[in-house]
Amino acid sequence: MPAAAQATGPVVHHPVPRTADGKPDMSGTWQAGGVSITGEAGAPPIHPLPPIDQHPIKREPLVYKPQYEARRKALTVLDDPTLECLLPGVPRIQTEPMPLEIVQTPKEIVVLYESFRAWRRIPINDKLEHSDDLTPTWMGDAVGRWEGDTFVVDTIGFNEKTWISGTGTVHSDKMHVVERYTLNNDGSLSWEARVEDPVALEKPYVTGATFRAPIGVRVEEYECIENNPDPTHMKKAAELDKAKK
Amino acid sequence: MKYGFLAALAAGAMLLTALPAMAHHSFAAEYDSHNVITLTGTISKVEWTNPHTYVYVDVKDASGNMTTWALEGYPPNTLKRTGFARAVLKEGDSITITAYKSKDGSNTGAGREITFPDGSKKFLGPEGR
Repeated sequence: MPAAAQATGPVVHHPVPRTADGKPDMSGTWQAGGVSITGEAGAPPIHPLPPIDQHPIKREPLVYKPQYEARRKALTVLDDPTLECLLPGVPRIQTEPMPLEIVQTPKEIVVLYESFRAWRRIPINDKLEHSDDLTPTWMGDAVGRWEGDTFVVDTIGFNEKTWISGTGTVHSDKMHVVERYTLNNDGSLSWEARVEDPVALEKPYVTGATFRAPIGVRVEEYECIENNPDPTHMKKAAELDKAKK
Repeated sequence: MKYGFLAALAAGAMLLTALPAMAHHSFAAEYDSHNVITLTGTISKVEWTNPHTYVYVDVKDASGNMTTWALEGYPPNTLKRTGFARAVLKEGDSITITAYKSKDGSNTGAGREITFPDGSKKFLGPEGR
């Protein structure tokens, strides 16, 4: 992260804020990265970030079963659903370079994403039970529960149209994502996602991020489909490139 | 080398800790980060739209022919958060803008740094990659 994005000074530690029912209070605006919180190199940030500690992020690579590896390799950036302004799905949406807002109540947590105007409603359900009649969706069916001071989100019921992470990272409709949200005492929020897919993946994929609260930022409207000539330009560029070879 | 050592270091650190600044499309599939153009002309139109803003600049070549270039920028919300007020982009103003040329042969590009009539500079979009 460019040094300019960081406010200087020591990390300030304080007890984790709590809601009336004693749970860590995660409500507010968060972002994992992107220019609006890191600023441009050399320019002072408009929305400074308080310094935070380093938080370890667990990662395990994406390892596909052969049939899905072949599908993945056949896809290019032109096939990216988000290029057409379709929802990025989970876990991909979490690290889009735009803020998200967590709205926390004792019965459910709602996440409002600026990115693609997405939202997730996460009812709190201690048995993590899903309906047995789910319609496959882009963002899946999420339920959550508190495990100590960590909020665990269990999501299934995905369609097969989203990508997990980078280009072509397909999955089956059996994908199961378990996320863990833990508020830190330096004002940051640790997020980890474990992606299981017994049809597409050889082993679980693990990713994560440290969310920060950019000062003075709130989630705004982002109607992606409004004016999107990029797919046309990219397809034309790909045709020209192909003709050259 | 295009980037200084520190910038490369910062970019590397970004990759480890953060993510690309583009939300919805690959930069390299649309724009050529090695083909940087500098255009001087008059702003003829500004689109404050998603997923990207566009600044249209009328540029006159040596023989007096006018070409309109469309330069893509950050989404409106991102521009605002980097301190780029809407009021600074006015139709009729003369600007100089650097941009990464589109790979599709059209008069479009990914806008980077705008120099305003008063000499001040602002970034319209990300560094090419």
